[in-house]
Amino acid sequence: MLEGLVSPENLSLSSMDMNVLERLKWLQQQQQQQVVSQSSDNSPELLQILQFHESNNDELLQSTFSHFQMLGSCFGPSPNMGFGPSHEAMDGCISRTSSFQMVPVDTMGVMLKNSEENRTISSKNKRKSEVKRREEEKTEKKIKVEAETESNMKGKSSMSNNTEASSDTSKETSKGASEIQKLDYIHVRSRRGQATDRHSLAERARREKISKKMKYLQDIVPGCKKVTGQAGMLDEIINYVQSLQTQVEFLSMKLAVLDSELELAVEDLYVKQDQTVIIQKLLIIFFLFCYEFQLQAYFTNLPVVNASKPSIMVDVPLFPLDQQGSLDLSVINLSQTTSTEAPSASWETQSRSLFNTSSLGFHY
Amino acid sequence: MKQTNAHMERQIMNKRKRVFSVQEKKNPKAVFAKRYVSHLVPALKKINMNKPSSQINSKSFEQTVQHEVDMALALSAQEFAWSRFLQHKLLSSPHEDPSYSSKILETSSCKQDGKEGAEIKKKLKELQKLVPGGEEMNMEEILSEVGSYIVCLELQMIVLKSLVQDNIS
Repeated sequence: MLEGLVSPENLSLSSMDMNVLERLKWLQQQQQQQVVSQSSDNSPELLQILQFHESNNDELLQSTFSHFQMLGSCFGPSPNMGFGPSHEAMDGCISRTSSFQMVPVDTMGVMLKNSEENRTISSKNKRKSEVKRREEEKTEKKIKVEAETESNMKGKSSMSNNTEASSDTSKETSKGASEIQKLDYIHVRSRRGQATDRHSLAERARREKISKKMKYLQDIVPGCKKVTGQAGMLDEIINYVQSLQTQVEFLSMKLAVLDSELELAVEDLYVKQDQTVIIQKLLIIFFLFCYEFQLQAYFTNLPVVNASKPSIMVDVPLFPLDQQGSLDLSVINLSQTTSTEAPSASWETQSRSLFNTSSLGFHY
Repeated sequence: MKQTNAHMERQIMNKRKRVFSVQEKKNPKAVFAKRYVSHLVPALKKINMNKPSSQINSKSFEQTVQHEVDMALALSAQEFAWSRFLQHKLLSSPHEDPSYSSKILETSSCKQDGKEGAEIKKKLKELQKLVPGGEEMNMEEILSEVGSYIVCLELQMIVLKSLVQDNIS
């Protein structure tokens, strides 16, 4: 009877081209068939599934067959990331799995009939950690034998396209077997007692991203560290950007005035070779001032400006860069370090003092 | 583009080897400064030469200079979204079009509900106006773009200050 699941229709659905509607239909079919036959003998088949899944890790992902994986619930702020804990906990939780059936069909996929079905989509990139995620459909609740599953996974847009229509996540924080889907998500660890709603997890991950970016901005904008709270920081950032812009305007006006009055002999200032001289002087000055740990801080904060590579990461990267050796010009860090020599609070005066002390003479 | 961790590690290793080295090409800020200078100075020269000295209409001259300044900024930092927006704005029309439809800020969910959320939204809207192209970015994008924008503005200021000072002295 289970072999009936292995219909060419199902196999044909394994391609990624299948759209959402087809998947939904397929899922509903599964459910209907589920109602018909259920058995409670699960553990050996479960083990089979696990082994199977482990072996076909990423190649399988093109299929949209459902998988059922057991995960021990990882409550608490455990720093473990990756699949390590999941495998250990898997065996321990097998007994708690709700009933399901497995059909070892072929190497392409495994068809499961169980109370909770998931779909697998190819996981592409980052996994911070594993998160339990439960995805239930309203119809499945009737079928479900044991209610002790808890998992949540933050989903990206692909996920929401697939499953939003078809699933409701219910909030249960009890321990138990949980499911994992191989989807290209950013994984967020859910803690005990916290809502494991898909939406709240998505919210939380988003908030974490945003707070990281705010931290990065905090280091760039001077005077931001004293202010707490995002509103205050945003205020500071806005003020800073405004002041920078007005300064640029002012300087350009000044330049225009000079240009017109003195009939700026620009060519005297800048022969091609002199440009490099200027830059080198700038570099030397910055190098002298800011080689310290500020470099490290700069580089952890501003790899966005890493223009040396043709591929520029526009996002603030989320991984830490430990040791950065190359010289980086960091104006803010510069102003902070010059404070040891010229103790003045505002960055404006600091950068001005820098220029007064520096001898950037142009050759006429 | 996303880089894998291995690639980043390789980058870090490469940078470790270049401690104390003053290599302009690899140093992003130096690259920016150089580009900026190389864009701005010839433009200034051209302005100076093309404009007959009798016609010094200060306002329009200022505007031209400002235009060139901004243009140099936009051209020197092509990697960022805001620079593309700025370029586009400068090239298309000298007048700003204030009737932007500010995008996803309104639909993005509040981080903090209540009064704070509204405050933050207000401030983000202000920030949107400041950053070129900000009208069309949602909150996360703005935050990432603001960082690079600030740094480039600072560099721009350094260059401009040095230009001005050396003309004065």
